[in-house]
Amino acid sequence: MKLLTCPMNGPRNIDEFQCFGPVRARPDPNATADRDWSRHLFRAENRKGIVVEWWRHVPSNYFFLAERDLVSNEIIRTFDAPQLRDRA
Amino acid sequence: MAAGTATRIYPFMPGGAADGTKLASGAVVLSDLTDRPRFGLKGGGSAAWLAAQGVKLPAVNRIGDHRGMRVLRLGNEDILLLAEDAAETLAQINTGWQAATVPKGYSSWREEGWAWMRLSGPDLAKAMSGLCALDLRPQKFGVDDIAQTRVGHIEAVTFRSPTGFDILFDITASAYFARAVAAMAGHIEEHRG
Repeated sequence: MKLLTCPMNGPRNIDEFQCFGPVRARPDPNATADRDWSRHLFRAENRKGIVVEWWRHVPSNYFFLAERDLVSNEIIRTFDAPQLRDRA
Repeated sequence: MAAGTATRIYPFMPGGAADGTKLASGAVVLSDLTDRPRFGLKGGGSAAWLAAQGVKLPAVNRIGDHRGMRVLRLGNEDILLLAEDAAETLAQINTGWQAATVPKGYSSWREEGWAWMRLSGPDLAKAMSGLCALDLRPQKFGVDDIAQTRVGHIEAVTFRSPTGFDILFDITASAYFARAVAAMAGHIEEHRG
């Protein structure tokens, strides 16, 4: 069983979670060129490295962030969303 | 029926969606508490409003007590009051909340949206270990702990009650849950050695 640690509920079967994709910058639609806006909407990154993603613990409906290695699929750490804001 | 009052039909009542589904009894007992009073608040202002009424709020995923009610903190701003034996206290809180105009969260409609069932009986531990993947042994899971997890493959909130485990889940899964518990009870009986 693969485990993921929810910052609120602790370690749980990964089956209890849903991934909401990487945290992305949100470009201003009024100030972004069509080409860049199209890229933002329709093209996904496909790179190696570490990604920060939104995850949700479904039974408690708790949203949090996880750092994941895109090559090994290892979850490096999970943390509450305000920590990302504090770090920025 | 008096004018202006509505009679709720709960799933296991005659005419309910799970009418006719049998609840496990014997070594594993499933009881339905869905018609017992409860009130949930959610969203910004919920915790502050309850605290202003004198309700002492526990930490997240812990259970507190307020004048005979159990206070379940399911999130920072997600609180559920269970009033199995304290209907009057709950009614007072509810009336106060309806009348309040300050930020007070919103009703999470737990009295209509969630089923409330209790699992007990001599084979309780075996049944619960088959229905839920978490370690719920007394040394790991205390009387004031809450687990928001899966029980019988559905999303549920579970915690200890004096006779067993209480389980809250989506009311529309009532018949399914009763069948899942009955299947587990049958499995335990079959493999009794």
